[in-house]
Formats: sequence, structure tokens, C-alpha cells
Amino acid sequence: MTAAISATALTRRYRDQVALDDVSFELPTGSITGLLGRNGAGKTTLLRILAGQEFPSAGSVRVLGEPPADNERVLSRMVFVREDQAYPDIKVRHALRAASWFYPNWDAGLAETLAADFNLRPNKAIKKLSRGLRSALGITIGLAARAEVTLFDEPYAGLDAVARQIFYDRLLAEYGEHPRTILLSTHLIDEAAALFESVVVIDQGRIVLEAAADGLRGVASTVSGPLLAVDEFTAGRPVWARRRLGSQASVVTVGPLAEADRARARALGLDLVPLTLQQLVVQAAGWPGLAGAAEHPEGVSA
Amino acid sequence: MNTLLKVARYHLVQPIPFLVVAWGIVAFSFAVNVIVYAFAPTSHPAGAGGVPAGRYTGALASLFVYFMVLGVNSIGRWLPFGLALGASRRSYYAGTALLAAGLAVVDGLVLAVLQVIERATDGWGVQMGFFRIPYLLSGPWYLTWLSSFVWLTLLFVYGMWYGIVFRRWGLIGTIAFIAAQAAVLVAAGLLVTRANGWAGVGHFFTGLTATGLTGVLAVLAVALLAGGQATIRRAAI
Repeated sequence: MTAAISATALTRRYRDQVALDDVSFELPTGSITGLLGRNGAGKTTLLRILAGQEFPSAGSVRVLGEPPADNERVLSRMVFVREDQAYPDIKVRHALRAASWFYPNWDAGLAETLAADFNLRPNKAIKKLSRGLRSALGITIGLAARAEVTLFDEPYAGLDAVARQIFYDRLLAEYGEHPRTILLSTHLIDEAAALFESVVVIDQGRIVLEAAADGLRGVASTVSGPLLAVDEFTAGRPVWARRRLGSQASVVTVGPLAEADRARARALGLDLVPLTLQQLVVQAAGWPGLAGAAEHPEGVSA
Repeated sequence: MNTLLKVARYHLVQPIPFLVVAWGIVAFSFAVNVIVYAFAPTSHPAGAGGVPAGRYTGALASLFVYFMVLGVNSIGRWLPFGLALGASRRSYYAGTALLAAGLAVVDGLVLAVLQVIERATDGWGVQMGFFRIPYLLSGPWYLTWLSSFVWLTLLFVYGMWYGIVFRRWGLIGTIAFIAAQAAVLVAAGLLVTRANGWAGVGHFFTGLTATGLTGVLAVLAVALLAGGQATIRRAAI
């Protein structure tokens, strides 16, 4: 199967900063991928280039097999919901109506349901919407477009917890009924972790981790307990982070743990907690070795 | 549906600026002028036709200036959402220009009709030249239609170019854009001076009929259209 999205040696330089540095990756058709990273890591720039809104300094992208920039064969099959989307001075219903003209698979019923779920009133002027409701409008357009490639950039900035849950539920339901390729950037990693089939983590414009979400579970664990016991347990294991508090220590160790390891930890009186996706991402920023760890969880040599 | 038409329709999703505001401006300035001229006596015999000296208002310029504002605005916050909806820059630009031309055709016809009425009613009963403008809009109705169409399209397209320049290069860029145009005019003036060509230029303009001027403006509009197209090609949003 051809990749729905692919980037090759993508670089974007601004005057005093490299926003994307030699980024290459591929996303298969029909998948939900999390695009994770810190503020300013280059997530939005990457999405804007994928959507043809921004131009790369070097390298290339392909969406649905073709370069997306100013290419309506691609653009009509793609939707990009931006956190900072600028809207004209129009009302919510105008924006939804305009969107219905542009997207061939637009589902007006779904748009109406979502708007109602989010308490998005059709006659409200967009410029008077709160930040959360503005996000809700973006999400409504992004889901109702039913576009083959759906890009979300921080789609739920300002949304309350209930509305975020609506978004997750709707996204999964929609994805189940009408599979598409979804790339979603977010800061709320743990909350959205269950959505992702794979993740791409970028830091300072570079990809530091690209892996299937399944492959990441248990890729690293926190070992905590008495200092000596921790040292004994982690001897010979790759260690990322070490924290010591008096006679107690807490160490992040990479690599899967076999049943024998767990038994040994219990015998030593140690706590073993797998790192969550969010903790992994925090570690991954500034730890390029993680990419290898996720791809080859058996033979870690960090 | 063709993307060009979708873009034109996109602008009209909220038609108030194009219909209500545009003609509201005309109606308001018309009303003000009718009242003013109703109280301003004239020695010109009633029913003699023509517009007495000093009774051309020129207030119709407001509509033309407003078209330029519409052109600027059609980029502004409309371009980012239009592109977000999947229009290419090319279609967005062409579709918006198409809308401008369509509006100019309709509005130009309305102006021509109002001018016919103005002539037939001896200047709305107060001998006022509101829809007649000396030299520019003073011919038969079809020339008024044609000239209005060209002027309105030209100003809208010019406004679009400003909108795109501002989008790409901000305030400094826009000022530089204006300065560059002034520089081109000064350079042209210097060239003419150097070639001792001012007499020829003067003859060209004095010999130019209103219809001829419309032709010159049409060429200028096409040039501006091409300039905007070249500028939007690499505009990031």
C-alpha cells in the first residue's frame, strides 16, 4: 500500500531558526498517528507544509501520492484543522456552509450533531467565540469533512474535559465507520494516547521517535526503592535518568522486562512502573537513542 | 462544481458587504447630496438638460473606493480560511477576481440605469450630477456600463494585490510596495523628461477619449491582475 503521507529530507529554515531539519517519515493509509513534541518543536510547520500552506526550504512531501502545494487533486481530499485558524468575519453557520461546498464527502448531519454536542450556536459570529468554541468549530469541520487525509494541529486548545471526551469518542467512531489517515498534534499526550496507533515525536525540528504505539508500551520503566537494591537491579541495564533521595532512588531503565526480572524486583522490594507515553516523550526530547530502542526493543544498547 | 465558482460563492456566503454595504454607501451619499442640492438654488432653467456648473457631486467615488476596500478584504482573513478549505492559491485568486468582475458587471449596469434615470429626471429634480461624472462617466449608458465595469474591476484587483502584499510582507512590505510604485512613476517621468517627451504625453492624454481611457485602464487592470497572481503564488498562510 502506498503511504498516505510521506516526507523526504524535509527542511524549513526561517531567518534565525531551523524549524524542520531533515525530516523523513511515512504514514500508511488508514491510521491515526500522534504528532508529539514540545512547543516550537516544528509540529505546526510540518503540518502546514503537509497541507500546502507553507513551502519547504528543501526536501519534499507527498500526500496521497502527489505534492500537495496548490494541487487541488490532493487538497480536495485533505482537511487541515489549525489551532490558530483565521476565519473571516462570518457566523458559525456560514463557515460550515462554505465547508460543505468544498469537501466532496461532507456530512451535514454529522456537522449539526457535533455543533450541538459542543454547544456551538450556528448564529454566533466566529470572532465572538471563546477559544474553546473556536476549537470546536475546527473539530466540527475536520470531522464532518470526512477527508481521506485529516490533519489536526492542537485541535482542542481551550476545550473543556467533556468536550475533549466528545472529540475522542467521535473521532474513534468516525474512524471506525469511515477509515481515513489522521495525523494529530497535541500536548495532552496521556489523554490522547489511547487514540494513537503510532506516534512521531519531533524535537527541535528533528524526528526523535517514530514508532507504533504498541511497541512503546513497556519500552522503559521506572524502578524505585532502596538505593542499593535499585543499583543492583539496574546494573548492566541502560539507564536514562537517575534520581536519589536519601537512601531511596528512582531510575528510568530502558528495555522490556521479562517475568524473571519482575520477580527479582519483587524480591528486592522494588516498584516497577512502565513509562507512560507522555513520560516517554519527555525523555525522548533530547534522547535520540530512544528511536532505536522502540524499533528494536530486544537489543537495547543505549 | 468548479473550484473558481466555489471560491466566488465562498465570498458571497455572507453577502452583506457586497450588496447591502456597497449600495448603502451609495444610497446614503445620494440622499445627503439630494438634500444639499434641493436647498442650493440654481439659475439654470429647469428641463434644459445637462448639469449646471458646480452641481456635479463626485460622491459616487465612494463606491469605487469601497471596491478597493473589498479587494483588500477579500484576501485578509478570507484567504487563510479559503485555502484551509482546500482551494489552491491559483483558484482562490482567479475565483475572487471572477467574483470582482461579476460584481462589476452587475453594479456597472445598475450605475448605467441610474444614470439614465438621472438624465430623464433632470438630475433627480434638483439638477444634480450624481451618476454623471464629467469626462469619465458622461457618455451613453453602455459606455457608462463599460467604464464602470473596468474601473470597479481595476480597483478591486488593485486592492487584492495590496492584500496579498500585506499578507506576505506585512506593513513594512506594503510601504515598500507603495514606494516602489512611486519610484516607477518618478522613473517614467524622468525618462519622459530626458526624451523631451512631455508634449507627446500631453497630446496622448488630451487626445484620449473616455473610451480610450477605459481601454488603457483595462490594460492596467490586466497588468495588476498578473502582478497579484505572481505575488500570491508563494504566499504562506
